[in-house]
Amino acid sequence: MSRTVSRAAIVSAIVKKDLVEFSRDTLYLFLSILGLVLFITFFWIAPSTVNETLTLGVHQTGMNALFDQFQEGADASEGLKLVQFASEEELKKVVAGDLEYWESKDGAQTFLRDKAAGDEKPKDAKKVDVAIGIGFPAGFLEKTAAKERTTVTVYSDAGVPSEIQGAMTSFVREIAYTIAGDAIPVTEPAQENIILGTDRAGDQISIREKMRPMLALFVLMVEVLSMASLVSSEVMNRTVTAVLVSPARAGDFLMAKTIYGTMLAMSQAMIVLIAIGAFTTTNWWLLLLTMLVGSVMFTGVAMIVGAAGKDFLGTLFYGVLFLVPLMIPAFAILLPGTASAWIRFLPTYGMTQVLTGVTAYGLGWADVWQNLLAATAWVVVIYLAGLFTLKRKVESL
Amino acid sequence: MTEAAIKVEDITYAYGDLLAVKGISFEVQPGEILGFLGPNGAGKSTTIKMLTGQVAPKGGRAQILGADITLDDPDIQARIGVCFEEKNLYLAMSAKENLDFFASLYGIKDPDSLEILRRVGLADRAKDRVKTYSKGMRQRMMISRAFINKPDVLFLDEPTDGLDPVTSASIRATIKEEAARGAAVLLTTHDMFEADELSDRVAFINDGVIVAIDTPENLKLKYGKRSVKIRLRNGSGVREETVALDTPQSGELLKEVVGSGEVLTIHTEEATLEDIFIQMTGRGLVG
Repeated sequence: MSRTVSRAAIVSAIVKKDLVEFSRDTLYLFLSILGLVLFITFFWIAPSTVNETLTLGVHQTGMNALFDQFQEGADASEGLKLVQFASEEELKKVVAGDLEYWESKDGAQTFLRDKAAGDEKPKDAKKVDVAIGIGFPAGFLEKTAAKERTTVTVYSDAGVPSEIQGAMTSFVREIAYTIAGDAIPVTEPAQENIILGTDRAGDQISIREKMRPMLALFVLMVEVLSMASLVSSEVMNRTVTAVLVSPARAGDFLMAKTIYGTMLAMSQAMIVLIAIGAFTTTNWWLLLLTMLVGSVMFTGVAMIVGAAGKDFLGTLFYGVLFLVPLMIPAFAILLPGTASAWIRFLPTYGMTQVLTGVTAYGLGWADVWQNLLAATAWVVVIYLAGLFTLKRKVESL
Repeated sequence: MTEAAIKVEDITYAYGDLLAVKGISFEVQPGEILGFLGPNGAGKSTTIKMLTGQVAPKGGRAQILGADITLDDPDIQARIGVCFEEKNLYLAMSAKENLDFFASLYGIKDPDSLEILRRVGLADRAKDRVKTYSKGMRQRMMISRAFINKPDVLFLDEPTDGLDPVTSASIRATIKEEAARGAAVLLTTHDMFEADELSDRVAFINDGVIVAIDTPENLKLKYGKRSVKIRLRNGSGVREETVALDTPQSGELLKEVVGSGEVLTIHTEEATLEDIFIQMTGRGLVG
């Protein structure tokens, strides 16, 4: 019996079959649904605001006039808040976390709470984190003016970056110079800060905003493992051989896997991006394009992983091997300052930059096209590598 | 004479330096079952792989339904059915879903999957996932998949390997039905009874070479021993007489022996295909 069947019909039949198989794969179905729920939950419970103010605790005696000047200066500027403590011991305990520092909402009253001793939370007050403090010794003003050596203690929580600790030390030194009547041996420029690159001062994005590209990549990552498992199963069980002795050709099989992988990855990434409020009326097409690029990229990775992995553990091993480097640019956005310049050469760098720029800073096509182009170039390389690897594997069976 | 459904001329295949198929030639006519009989590693499965387009021959030529196999013609692929030795089924899908999927690859809009499953005794388990099937059921499923497109040429690689006698008999019956419908069947097996029962002709393949190809009857006549063994009661004991059937006196001699006492059993000493294979190649069919 002779029949003619179109290539599109064959590809469509294989895609439908893949979807049925996916719906029967309890493990990956569970992981996919769990992933969607967890990723969306993580996003909405992450802090949505950025506290850019550094609260500096101070203990001093006999320096009220000077401290009032500091206080006025701090109030006038953004990013620095001074709080005064009656004793150095209190300051030390607050910085160490043994005592809590609370302020009434209008800032007029302050409270110290010893949680370990069972103190109640002060009513109508908010807790203020004091992670760093300076303890000036008694007679500091007089002794410094007389150019006598004194000891000023800077208390710092372990989590305070070393740069801030260094800045506090410099701050104390500058005060001492000023009181002693010595001029600082540098000329201050007319513009105090010269920012190289985009100035994000006052424009920092929250953890929640930073999580968007990472969550999108996580979704794609789960789908890579799911599709790789499917491909690996087709190869190892040799069901692909049964397909290829029918009118279906290797090209049909590869095309079907591309469509299936891209469709599955993109649809789930879309669900997450919609649920975390990434889309706006102006950025939707740019986000769609970016996720399409990302989905094809990860489908290529899945083809390589699926062809290499011989079982669940093999798929997991190769999956992690490929996916960890691809996740680095997303982590770098979450933890700025941790990454080196070489991450620019990772395939997902462009994609994460576009996602962050579009969703967090409202950038448009003109701002992100170069990153998108770089991501597309990587897609071509990875997808072709995936096709080649899987085709060779299928033909070698 | 009709055109051969399978026509093979001097094809060869090598795995690296190992020559697995060394220039074999044969034909299979429509409606004919050709049994490929040989031990494991003789080159049976490699021949099927070449003819179904899974691997390309290193030499020689072969045609399926008049088309050269190297053309990789989807229209020809649409007219063949293959039952693989390994059970490469989609285990997470039901039997019906498996058949419907493969039917769609052949462009069959409304496949009668249930009828095909009924033929192999799986209709009542049609909606169960294949992973719940026993080995025999999976093998029957493999056979039914090979039939889904009502193929003109069927390649069956060890279709009853390791199955119980009842399942084997059921599968053999369906293979005969397909041949009766007009399909050319190339059947590989190392089961001499299966080859004898199913095949119109058998080809003995050993070490990549066809050493004999003929009907089972002719092979038995040509290589077998024509004699009859008769056991008779002899007083309180039993005696055994062997009468050769190839002499002019055979009839008289047989009559005389049978009349000489109470006959307990009479057996022909016809050679089995395995006996002939061993005689020709010096090795058995298993191993």
